[in-house]
Amino acid sequence: MKVVISNVQRFCLKDGPGIRTTVFFKGCNLRCPWCCNPENIKFDIENYEYKEEKGVYGYEISLDDLEKEILKDKEYYENDGGVTFSGGECLLQFNKIEPLLINLKEKGINICVETALTVPTETVDIAMKYVDEFIVDIKILDEKSEHKVNGNVTLYKENVKKLFDNNSKVIFRIPLVPEYTMTKENMKEIIKFLEQYKAEKVEIFKIHRLGEKKYKTLGKEMQEFLEVSNNEIEEMIGKIEDLGIKAEYCNI
Amino acid sequence: MKDKIKKIIGKKKIFYCKHLRNIKNKVYENDNKILGIIKSSKNAKVYYNKNKGIELKNLLKNVEIQNVSTDNRFYYNIDFFKTICSPHTVFGNLCIDYSIILENSLEDLKSKLDKSSQEFYENELYTIEAMELLIDRIINKIKNEKIIENISNIKNKKASTLYEALQRILFINMLLWQTNHRLNGLGRLDKILIKYYDNDIKNNIITKREARELIKEFLLELHRFYKIKSNVLLGDTGQIIELGGKNIDGRYECNELTYIFIELMEELKLPDPKVLLRVSKEMPRDLMKVSLKCIQTGIGCPLFANDDVIIDRLKDFGYEEDDVYNYGTSACWEPYLIGKSSAQNNIKSLTFMIPFNDMFEKENLSKVSNTEELLKIYKKYLKNYIEKIIDEIKEVDFEKDTLLSLFIDDCVKNSTDIADGGAKYNDLGLTGVGLANVVNSICNIEEVVFKNKEMSLEELNKIRKENFDDNNELLKRLKNTTNRYGKDNEYVVKIANEIIRFASDVMKDRRNKLGGKYKFGLSSPNYIMASKDFLASFDGRKVGEPFAVHISTDTSDAYTELMEFASKLDYKENRFNGNVVDFFVTPNFINDNFEKFVDFLMLSIKVGFFEMQMNVVSSEKLIEARKNPEKFPNLVVRVWGFSAYFKDLPDEYKDYLIERALKNESSN
Repeated sequence: MKVVISNVQRFCLKDGPGIRTTVFFKGCNLRCPWCCNPENIKFDIENYEYKEEKGVYGYEISLDDLEKEILKDKEYYENDGGVTFSGGECLLQFNKIEPLLINLKEKGINICVETALTVPTETVDIAMKYVDEFIVDIKILDEKSEHKVNGNVTLYKENVKKLFDNNSKVIFRIPLVPEYTMTKENMKEIIKFLEQYKAEKVEIFKIHRLGEKKYKTLGKEMQEFLEVSNNEIEEMIGKIEDLGIKAEYCNI
Repeated sequence: MKDKIKKIIGKKKIFYCKHLRNIKNKVYENDNKILGIIKSSKNAKVYYNKNKGIELKNLLKNVEIQNVSTDNRFYYNIDFFKTICSPHTVFGNLCIDYSIILENSLEDLKSKLDKSSQEFYENELYTIEAMELLIDRIINKIKNEKIIENISNIKNKKASTLYEALQRILFINMLLWQTNHRLNGLGRLDKILIKYYDNDIKNNIITKREARELIKEFLLELHRFYKIKSNVLLGDTGQIIELGGKNIDGRYECNELTYIFIELMEELKLPDPKVLLRVSKEMPRDLMKVSLKCIQTGIGCPLFANDDVIIDRLKDFGYEEDDVYNYGTSACWEPYLIGKSSAQNNIKSLTFMIPFNDMFEKENLSKVSNTEELLKIYKKYLKNYIEKIIDEIKEVDFEKDTLLSLFIDDCVKNSTDIADGGAKYNDLGLTGVGLANVVNSICNIEEVVFKNKEMSLEELNKIRKENFDDNNELLKRLKNTTNRYGKDNEYVVKIANEIIRFASDVMKDRRNKLGGKYKFGLSSPNYIMASKDFLASFDGRKVGEPFAVHISTDTSDAYTELMEFASKLDYKENRFNGNVVDFFVTPNFINDNFEKFVDFLMLSIKVGFFEMQMNVVSSEKLIEARKNPEKFPNLVVRVWGFSAYFKDLPDEYKDYLIERALKNESSN
């Protein structure tokens, strides 16, 4: 079995507890305009040519080889570290990679996923068997606006409920994008949602433009967004903490 | 130059003084005022006598005694205009056992001398008398009662307080510098001082705060002459203090002083003296945290030496257990048995690229069709090269050294001067440089020539010799191939280990003049000095560009990858002469991830690096400081086994630091 990934990044300190290796799968079903990994939207390997530069996004890797890569830093996974599957939308690959998940579990490797959870519920069922921690995005919960990211709020909420019913460990992550996630309606929905699903922690972060060049190589332009002020960040943290939930601002 | 010095020191003794020459060169570059004084000084003198003890007496009879103000707590003065004559190579780059002078008076030392060798006896007796003479001169000149007491006690009492102990270390250290010794290490100060500290605190002799102040002043005294003490570059003084470490029961030992020394380094932010922390997976996490806070300031210390790896290597080599557990290092990082050894651990550079280039100059390689064959020929050249180095070393004559012989075992016991083999161990060390460039060259040739058959070896060699001019595309590729030194990749590790194991075999049966063995390591100060004018290499290095630094990577891969790689290099047999992983971290990265970075360091000890150091600084700051040095007078960076003020470095070192910082940041 082979999968298409864009990168295996060792020594990641922001993608879950401890020291982690993050696997970036190619392919996503959402289209968030602020996406910082535009090379992981398409499922297939992409060749590009940009100015003088030729390159390729993505490569095929067998599950065995991927496991070897993940295990290279095994000695660093003490203190809750391990592997984080990211992307793209990693859960879309989970029925394919189940044998890998079984092996990793057997070897005691902690597994995290970074997901937008807008995926078929069956994949969530698979994930719940193996994943130790879900880092779940909260993007657009206002159904009228879900089309802006190609989202599906109903499906998303159903999946979140599944995780909470299963007592899975969940951390929410909210990208702060004034035009999209921070609209009045959406903010209201987010607070309501957080009240209902009390996660261990909520992380909020400003989007960054480090992916700008990657957009260019793909023949696209990264959209401009309004700035988020420190006041707005503090206000947001205050609101979440008022619900009795730990909130953290992540400087990525 | 020679004539000028002759004029300075007068004609009556025309023994060429290497020491003065060194100072003169250094001062010439760095401080015109001092140069002026040396030039016009009639006082600069070199003392010579066939009897080294009398020679020392004559010197110490004449060195200038500095008046110490009442605010000063210590006497520490080096009269750099006077010294003794040393026509042969002077032992340096080592560390005496300072506890000898804490636990003995000069009287005690005298009583240990026996007359089995009249010459040795007389020399050592005169040496001790010379010290007494200096003590008398000091106590007659200075007014500070407390210092007078501390100095005068050296003659006939053991040290009894921390204050006295620190003064004694300074006294002997000052004598070492006064007598031409360079790169003088300080040893395991937390270990040898703790009983004085504990006793002082218990008996209310001083408070903890006063103790801290004393140690701070002690460090400042050591730093005072750093410009003149420096060896090759400013800051390279070899004043290394080793802290912490496993004891013979396998337990990790550290104490309050371990923390105090590191905290003071963080507070003072000086490039020198410097600290090495012996680490182990058994060490307390909070000691690692204190160390990381110090490293975070950017001063490049402490350097970590991993007891869990190093101790077994030293035992395997044949050193006695008691000595092994008390190891320190030579000036940079070469493990050294404190107070037991005459080891000159950086006696020559082992430049792996020299035989590699030689092979391409002299050999017809047109029939070579795979990496194995190439390696076989390389080994032939490497063997010749190493044998030649060792033959050259055999020619070196060492200067008799009555002072060192008092403080290095077993010179007194054997009644034999250290230069005649009196020390317990007499091994010599080489420091390796450019292995990464050889390994990457081989990997690149394998890929381009043998595997992909894109061109013949001759064609590739021609392009290399032409410095890759008009071949930028190829150059870029050669710099970015997947099999590279520093990658956690079996093939690369295999080639690296094959080369170093072979180098071991070549030198393992050779013995030096004093009967000691040879050893080497993979870290050397020479990455810029040895690469100047050196032809381009297959790893994508152009003419004159520096060789790789110690154990480092030229890509921006994860630190864990570099650590895994370093832990797979084979440091056994004689390959333990300093093996330092060296990398850059931005200050923000540690700030944002402090606890996880502590995890990383603790786990890396377990993974098994040999030694490790880092530069914590952003490329932005370095670039700014390169442009406007006056704005960053106190910016300190790690250079090789020492730290220095960035402003004091030659431009090529500044540029290389910037280049490496940029490379590190390119991963983010």
